[in-house]
Amino acid sequence: MESSYLVGAIIVASLATYATRLIPFLLFRTREPSPLVKYIELNMPLMIMVILVFYALKDVKWEAYPYGIAEIVGVVVAIALHVKFKNALLSIFLATLVYMFLIQKVLC
Amino acid sequence: MNFFAIFKLTIPVLMGYIPLGMAFGLLLSKLLIPWYYALFMSIFIFAGSGQFLALTLFASQATILEIGIATFLLNLRHTFYGLSMISTFKDFSWKKHYLIFGLTDETFALLKTSEVPEENREKVYLIITVLNQCYWIIGSVVGAMLGNILPFNYEGIEFSLTALFVVLSIELYKKSRLHKPFFVAIIIGLFGMFLFPPQKMLILSLCVAAFVLIVFKRSMESGK
Repeated sequence: MESSYLVGAIIVASLATYATRLIPFLLFRTREPSPLVKYIELNMPLMIMVILVFYALKDVKWEAYPYGIAEIVGVVVAIALHVKFKNALLSIFLATLVYMFLIQKVLC
Repeated sequence: MNFFAIFKLTIPVLMGYIPLGMAFGLLLSKLLIPWYYALFMSIFIFAGSGQFLALTLFASQATILEIGIATFLLNLRHTFYGLSMISTFKDFSWKKHYLIFGLTDETFALLKTSEVPEENREKVYLIITVLNQCYWIIGSVVGAMLGNILPFNYEGIEFSLTALFVVLSIELYKKSRLHKPFFVAIIIGLFGMFLFPPQKMLILSLCVAAFVLIVFKRSMESGK
């Protein structure tokens, strides 16, 4: 692959990515956000976060063995630990360990 | 907040970004692209799925214009993140441009849920973003240089990012005044996961969520 192609592509991809993150700041630089925008700003993050969970699970093959069992167990462990102990790091760490154990040793 | 406390916040991202970055670097080296391009890409693009997409497009010799459009569309979801950060970043100095640049899914998640006193906010946010980008850079460069020769089996460690989103959803749910958006988002997420094409799942689901949030504002705010 030619280096001029790669460098050009990287610059363009960089600007395109930055643009998607910058747009809302440009839109509301001068005017004060309306109550509607404030309402979105306040309530959208929770929805984004929940949807990100499903996004992270989008490549799971639910119809074939092992039917996403490891993912479901991992998520349930994370929820249970977090509701019980309220320690984010512990919940994430143990849920990941359980998940890794399942896919490496049990469901392979 | 001292450095260690901030570092602790970013550990889940560390656990996710190193292996994911390595997977990216590995793919890059399989396309016979020199390792320092992994470094440039992770410094100047800093978008997980965006960089994977770029590699796929490189491999099929897409034009630079196509790469620009595809990256823009893929990352369009970040517009929603920015929208949720407008008032938080409003009074920050010029350094906020780096924060805006670094607003990945995971960085957004950490910034939105970390509880930082207002006077330290800019500094703490900068450290979180820099740390996250460092993990990503280290992972991708190591992956591109070392590739397959790593001795231990870290398969599945990227689940830490899924667990991170789960935990942060619970945190935001507890903090949120309105609870209906949470349940609506679960329905949209489930629907999107099974019915939307995987490549467009995130942006489509986010658009539906924004649409429902706005159109049904009154019923969202009624009850609890």
